[in-house]
Amino acid sequence: MQKMNTDIILLGLNHKTAPVEVREKYALKDYPLGEISSHFSPQVLKEILILSTCNRVEFLGVGQKEKIIPGILRFWANICQGSEKELGNYVYIYQDLTAIKHVFKVASSLDSLVVGEPQILGQLKTAYRKALEAGTCKTILNRLMHKAFFTAKRVRTETQIASKAVSISYAAVKLAQKIFGNLSQASALLIGAGEMAELAALHLLHSGVKQIYIVNRTLSNAQELAKRFKGKAIPYSDLDKILIQADIVISSTGAPHTIITSKQVKAIIKKRKYQPMFFIDIAVPRDIDPDLNQLDNVFLYDIDDLQEIVEENMVSRQEEAKKAEAIIEEETIKFKEWLQKLELAPTIKELMQKGEALAQKEAEKTSKKLNLSPQEAKQLQVMAKALVKKLYANPISFLKKTQQSTSSLDYLDLFRKIFNLDENKHFYHKKNQ
Amino acid sequence: MKFYLSLMAGLLYCAGWIKILLGYIRHKNKLKHLGQMTAILGFGLHTLILGLSMQKSGTFMGQNYFELLSWTILLLSLLIWIGKKLNFVFFLGTSMSFFFYTSGFLLSYKLKHSIAHQTINFWFSLHIFSLSLSLSLLALAFGSSLIYLYMEHKIKTKSKLPSFSREMPSLTTCDRLNHLAIVWGFPIFSFSLLSGFIWASLVWAKLFKWDLKEILALVIWSFFAYLFHQRLALGWKGKKIAKLTIFIFILFLVSFIGISYLKNLT
Repeated sequence: MQKMNTDIILLGLNHKTAPVEVREKYALKDYPLGEISSHFSPQVLKEILILSTCNRVEFLGVGQKEKIIPGILRFWANICQGSEKELGNYVYIYQDLTAIKHVFKVASSLDSLVVGEPQILGQLKTAYRKALEAGTCKTILNRLMHKAFFTAKRVRTETQIASKAVSISYAAVKLAQKIFGNLSQASALLIGAGEMAELAALHLLHSGVKQIYIVNRTLSNAQELAKRFKGKAIPYSDLDKILIQADIVISSTGAPHTIITSKQVKAIIKKRKYQPMFFIDIAVPRDIDPDLNQLDNVFLYDIDDLQEIVEENMVSRQEEAKKAEAIIEEETIKFKEWLQKLELAPTIKELMQKGEALAQKEAEKTSKKLNLSPQEAKQLQVMAKALVKKLYANPISFLKKTQQSTSSLDYLDLFRKIFNLDENKHFYHKKNQ
Repeated sequence: MKFYLSLMAGLLYCAGWIKILLGYIRHKNKLKHLGQMTAILGFGLHTLILGLSMQKSGTFMGQNYFELLSWTILLLSLLIWIGKKLNFVFFLGTSMSFFFYTSGFLLSYKLKHSIAHQTINFWFSLHIFSLSLSLSLLALAFGSSLIYLYMEHKIKTKSKLPSFSREMPSLTTCDRLNHLAIVWGFPIFSFSLLSGFIWASLVWAKLFKWDLKEILALVIWSFFAYLFHQRLALGWKGKKIAKLTIFIFILFLVSFIGISYLKNLT
């Protein structure tokens, strides 16, 4: 890997190594990719990509590690008006295999604050697109990124890392979907206010809920919330009437006693012709009579129930993460094998082996057809092999010459593609892109 | 020849069902699709067997009623799957079809048609076919009710949902399938009984013989009518309806198998 100065270097900081104020200071929202690559000669830094999210800033480069690492640190400190010394306290540096593995982990959301959250893959894709536009992503990073996306997809489909909700509000929405299926026909009612209730309402809105009603003792507060959620404010006195229309009820008032009783809902569910109702009680003390859950077609979850689901899901995600690690390990090895082949000597060796095998096969076929004696057959084989050597002499000599240029890896990759040297790998790669 | 064709259709149903089941457990869509294709292949072969049987003997019932029932279940599953885009219906359909087909195949030496071929006329064919259709709908409603009760219990008791439950339909979807099956199933079942009585009056010159089968058919019809009424007129949904559906289907199975078995013994 090091023979051709194609070290893969990753340096960065994230939520594990740096506090939020440091992450904010060294964030690179609109980073000048073209500018950073102009700080290095093309021989030193061949490829670069920057991933900057609220939880991490990472530089992924290909080139000469001795020069890249201090160069990037200097550039980063300068552009963020910080110091290299300060950065040094928070930065991690990975090389080659560990760098590849880290990229796969990040893409698969194993390194995220909330393991399994899906946003990171989109952010990585955006970073890759920016690098492509700036022309700083070439053979190795191109392949590495495609492999990272493929690995993330494998982790997502082969493990259940992202299948379970890990926030209270999202857990409530997931449960609502288990009851009602598609929420586009469901109406939600928000009683009172509060951060968690609003978050749940927001999740419901994103899940396509048909209508949100907001009830508050102070109508003006309800109207304000209704504006935010594009809902409808209802006076508190009409609570009973609106309950008949609500499929999902989220309650979080500061009332010292229950505001919805079992008897009340028993009458309501009959009027609703037994359409199911899902109550989420986020208030402490509770707003909704716990006996409600005994009624047919009525489901009640309070904050503790939801918290329990979230905790169980968190444990389950950690277990799934172990399975994901095995997938990442497997993909890292595959990438390493490809990388090792992306050098001059193994490429020439593979080409000659392939050509000679082909020559031998064809010579044998012809010998059989012409019924040649063993001596004649041997001569035919020698001739076929000599032909292969002569045919490949010019392409090989051209390839050797290109190794001095900055695009040497591109030529090597192209050469391997022309002569189909990654036959099986190509099929595999293409299939999974 | 027919035996081998029947065996092959059964094996295709079995393979299709296993693949779909594994697809659900392992969350593999490809496996599910493969299973669906295999089951459809089995259905094609089964259709051919019934067609050949009809050509030979003039009856489409196959070896016994269970064989026809398994065919109509899969036919309806296919139609609902295509029309309503309810994937799990196909899973239910293949499970039920596989069960009835295998039962029919294994019991073929026990359960033979007790009706002589010369007495099979238009009304009897209509009776059997509509009976099979309505019972297939009831079978699908039974399956969706089982899933409903399982999921409802899990959500209600706040138990941990197993991993395959994410592939399960929502309670509303299960209830929707139950509604569809009952709303169509009951009128077809009523028509089936009517055509049966007409046939009986033509063959035996008697509308009602107080035969055990006839009495039980009327009992099942009464429960079915009650279910239909509560569902449509009172708007019952969910748990009560699911329990009643399961009860009616089990009542049908027990009475049907019981009567057929007793008749074959005597």
